[in-house]
Amino acid sequence: MSMQAEVIKQIKFGIFSQEQIKKLSVAKLTVPDTYNEDGYPIDGGLLDQRLGVIDPGLVCKTCGGRAKTCPGHFGHIELVRPVMHSEFAKIVNMLLQATCQKCHRILLNDEQLGAFKAEMNKELSEETPAAEQAQGKQAEQDMLKKLKSVKKCPHCGTVQEKLKFSMPTYFYVGERRLKPDEIKDMLAKISDEDLDILGIDSKTSRPEALVLNTLLVPPVDVRPSITLETGERSEDDLTHKLVDIMRINQRLEQNINAGAPQIIIDDLWELLQYHVTTYFNNETSGIPPARHRSGRALKTIAQRLKGKEGRFRYNLSGKRVNYSARTVISVDPAIDVDEVGVPRAIAEKLTVPFYVTEWNLEEAKKLLASNQYPMVINVVALDGKRKRILDTNKEELLKEIKPGYILERQLKDGDLALFNRQPSLHRISIMAHRVRVLPGKTFRITYPATIPYNADFDGDEMNLHIPQTLEAQAEAKYLMEVQEQIFSPKDGNVIIANGEDGIIGLFALTQDDTYLDKQETEYLLGTAGIREMPKESKGHMYSGKDIFSLLLPKGLNFEVQSGNDKLKIKNGSLVEGVITKRAYGLGGGNKLFIAIARDYGFEELRRFIARSSKMAYAYATMYGVTMGVKEYIINDDMRKEKEMLLADTQKKVDELVNQYKTKKLEPLLGLTLRQSLEQMIIVELDQARSKAGYALSRNVDKTNFAMLMANSGARANILNFEQMSMFLGQQATWEGRRIKRGYYTGRVIPHMQRNDVGASARGFISSSYVDGLNPIEILMHAVGARGAVIQKGLLTQRSGYLQRRLANALQDYYVLFDSSVRDVGNNVIQTLYGGDGIDPTRVNFAKEEQREKEK
Amino acid sequence: MAKQESKYGVQAGEPVGVIAAQSVGEPGTQMVLRTFHFAGIAASIATSGLPRIIELLDAKKTPSTPISKIYLNESSKKSFAKADEVAKKISEIEMRSITRRIVEDFSKGKILVMLNAQAMQAADLTAGHAAARLKKDLGLDAKVGKHGNIVIGTHTKNLKEVRAIAVKLTKSIVNGIEGAGRAMVAQDQKTQEFYVESAGSNIEPMMEIDGVDSSRIYTNDIFEMYRVFGIEAARTTLALELKKTLEEQEISVNERHIALIADAMTSSGTIQSIGRHGLVGKKESVFARAAFEETVKHLINAAAFGQIDYMRGVTENILVGKQIPLGTGSVKLSIKREEGKKKK
Repeated sequence: MSMQAEVIKQIKFGIFSQEQIKKLSVAKLTVPDTYNEDGYPIDGGLLDQRLGVIDPGLVCKTCGGRAKTCPGHFGHIELVRPVMHSEFAKIVNMLLQATCQKCHRILLNDEQLGAFKAEMNKELSEETPAAEQAQGKQAEQDMLKKLKSVKKCPHCGTVQEKLKFSMPTYFYVGERRLKPDEIKDMLAKISDEDLDILGIDSKTSRPEALVLNTLLVPPVDVRPSITLETGERSEDDLTHKLVDIMRINQRLEQNINAGAPQIIIDDLWELLQYHVTTYFNNETSGIPPARHRSGRALKTIAQRLKGKEGRFRYNLSGKRVNYSARTVISVDPAIDVDEVGVPRAIAEKLTVPFYVTEWNLEEAKKLLASNQYPMVINVVALDGKRKRILDTNKEELLKEIKPGYILERQLKDGDLALFNRQPSLHRISIMAHRVRVLPGKTFRITYPATIPYNADFDGDEMNLHIPQTLEAQAEAKYLMEVQEQIFSPKDGNVIIANGEDGIIGLFALTQDDTYLDKQETEYLLGTAGIREMPKESKGHMYSGKDIFSLLLPKGLNFEVQSGNDKLKIKNGSLVEGVITKRAYGLGGGNKLFIAIARDYGFEELRRFIARSSKMAYAYATMYGVTMGVKEYIINDDMRKEKEMLLADTQKKVDELVNQYKTKKLEPLLGLTLRQSLEQMIIVELDQARSKAGYALSRNVDKTNFAMLMANSGARANILNFEQMSMFLGQQATWEGRRIKRGYYTGRVIPHMQRNDVGASARGFISSSYVDGLNPIEILMHAVGARGAVIQKGLLTQRSGYLQRRLANALQDYYVLFDSSVRDVGNNVIQTLYGGDGIDPTRVNFAKEEQREKEK
Repeated sequence: MAKQESKYGVQAGEPVGVIAAQSVGEPGTQMVLRTFHFAGIAASIATSGLPRIIELLDAKKTPSTPISKIYLNESSKKSFAKADEVAKKISEIEMRSITRRIVEDFSKGKILVMLNAQAMQAADLTAGHAAARLKKDLGLDAKVGKHGNIVIGTHTKNLKEVRAIAVKLTKSIVNGIEGAGRAMVAQDQKTQEFYVESAGSNIEPMMEIDGVDSSRIYTNDIFEMYRVFGIEAARTTLALELKKTLEEQEISVNERHIALIADAMTSSGTIQSIGRHGLVGKKESVFARAAFEETVKHLINAAAFGQIDYMRGVTENILVGKQIPLGTGSVKLSIKREEGKKKK
């Protein structure tokens, strides 16, 4: 496959001289037009057939190729009067300022020159550390600035006149304007040696080429014209601009030849300058952009390159690829975590290469002969030509194939594929999954796999890529497979784990009083693919913990205690504790996964996640986990407690307000009285909310499903419950302040007393979602909600840009074999990564190891 | 360099830079400006969350909310009174916050500063103290006059000069250290020691004050740390501030990532920002710079000077379609595969 003929080792930038342009050019263009009446390109026009062809059927007059094969060729325009290259005007200014107006040498005496040279050399040398290079650059900049104020040339003694540069392309000596041809002469007289001292490579970048006598015209392929349905031709913006340039050029020539007055010639010259300037950059500051007939600003060369939709970021940094697919995603609890369900229709289109060797020739032939689903679609011959397999050429190809051929086979179960969801914020936004071909039209993944992708199934789409070389497949398998990514590189915590149903099922199953009969047990184990029975207990029953234990790796010993929760696994069986999110779900609390991965490997952990979630779903269904509004309707006792709590809070706030008004309030350290009051009230209101949550968790039945969800960590938390059943609490706080603004002096809405700083006047809601909110509360809630939406939008924008900057700044840093961190230029950033060389993905493993050692 | 032997070491070739960038960047969207109800401490008004992270990575010359912590030495840290004394010496009080009116008498070349007695009391200042400070700082002939006012003799009758002095007067400070902001005594929750926290940062003069433990003085101003203690201190402060800000938002990011970012920003010996004026703008590769921001500018300069892109970095190689030199691409050794050639 690899037929890389040449490897790009370096790329040199430079400026084409007039001679180089003429040498490069295949045609001198003279006619400021495109097509003639018959619809054929005009010779000497901007779409001259020597510049290449884009219309099918025509033949390039330079290389004889057709539209597909001709790469395009450059032409040139000879300008009757030279014009400045506007983009380089700043550099021209620098050069003119730095050199004598008469002898054109750098305005430094020999001694200064020596120092400057040394500084330059240091800067350019590869051995110089980055810091010193920066200093060198600074010194150089300072020196150049000083050159501006040199009054007298140290070489020829000429007094320097004041040189003024005015954007975009005007230069003045004293009051007199310098014409481009004068500038060109001045630049041409700067010696090669002097240019080299200034850091300019005189071999490739002679500055006189910055004043243009000839203009290089890009091939037609760069600016293709399009034919509209009406048969009308529409030219590219660049072609339009070139036509403008040629028209004015022609008029200027005619006027000069006719001996027109100088003022007319100067005007036309100026116009030519304008068109050339906008041809390079139509957003040049100080001049109006050239516009299309419709009023739209033309997109010229600079506009093509820059920005997010420019050539660099859109086409070069990001490339379009083949062997990929995109569709909506949905869940499938039945497949494995490391699998991706691929619709049959996609599997039939996408291909995987089968490299024919002398050892698998027979297999290859069998594959090629097949007429059923995983069949060969294309054959790539030794010369790299791709042939599509049809019934007509199959027999022929069967005889033809030999080692070195590549068969492109349809995707089938077990193939590796890369799966990705944008925005790709971290590396686990792309993981390798094994393909599972399924009916339907959506990609399928499991719940645990959604977390690193940050995906849900409300219409999200994802992309699938099929690695095409053996190297790529190997890398995907060993570096990118889902089980390798269970621990996040961000903090080493679990990032692929069950939640929701997957937790609540196991939570219910592993309760102390869960006992199942034989049939239920067999069903549960069957869903997880386990073919052994736990030991019997309590007559002919089986305990939930024993059933769960069969999922665990044999011989696992594990113990964790956090607060009142304890989880103890002895010799592969759960002896104490209940499965909750803390031990089994996402985040740093999940020490169980660490124990399994460390002692049994990622493959075993993957199996554990897959099988335990299947069992969890089955048991959740069997148990009958269900949710309704009824979970959130509280009894009269709770209602009474709520009223008491609210009354109590109201009293406390009132008292604070009272103290404030009578100036008896003791201010907090460093705050004014008003600020102190605000702080104290916020704290008080916040406490009310947590007290309400606490009251709920104390009084609501443990079998209440909302409580079950919160306690197990499956979904939601006590705050959500509290807001639905008790009261919403304080709304719309911004940087620790309650809502207070409004159109009406001293109050948020006119339904309140002026200067009321009490709870409800400043956005405290004492109704619950179940009871419903009163109109004022609705408003306060909406204020809070609107604020949150705006914040979120702002935040995503800012953090997106931060992400891009960080990635661009740090992308060249990597770890060497000595565990030092360097950039690709071999500058050392850290002598030992992180101070200890530990991989952040595995820090928790290292920590556990350390802990065990200390024991 | 002794290499730590561990089963859990980083793999050679690992693109730790990108991983660090992603680890800090990815949680960015989760950073909501959540409200914190630390009752009491003025410091809770400090910039936090994403704006603070951006400010740090931008290497802004001064933080938008500078805060310094002045720890005290063994003999002073146990006593509130002593700490308060230090705080008083630091706390910056502006002239205008204690004046009621300033009257210029051009004919006599005198300026009468009428003080606000209430404000003076609140700031625990006397007119004598303020006058002495003015004398010391501005070299003015300031005396305490009738009714507790300050009278300043200017020794000139020039209208402009008198006015200039009056203007200078309003901007001057009468107590504490310039730029230090309001200082207050705080108590460390863990060690129970008293320290002074101020809403400003000017640590050099703070270190001179009696009772201050200059080895533990801290400011969240990275550049001030750099100026006073050098680049290593700046690096440590930068990492600390990043870590603190992330922790406040309850975002767990391994310190290795934070350390790498801090090291990257300071490894040149000066503080460089993450962005076009800093690390990215100083990259060796023309293409890497052009692909980030200011595309045209970088290409034009490269052409004018005849620069060379050595294709060593990630971006350049992606642009031309080559393998990147990190990860599995950093391995130079390879086996030449001779396909289909028969052995023996």
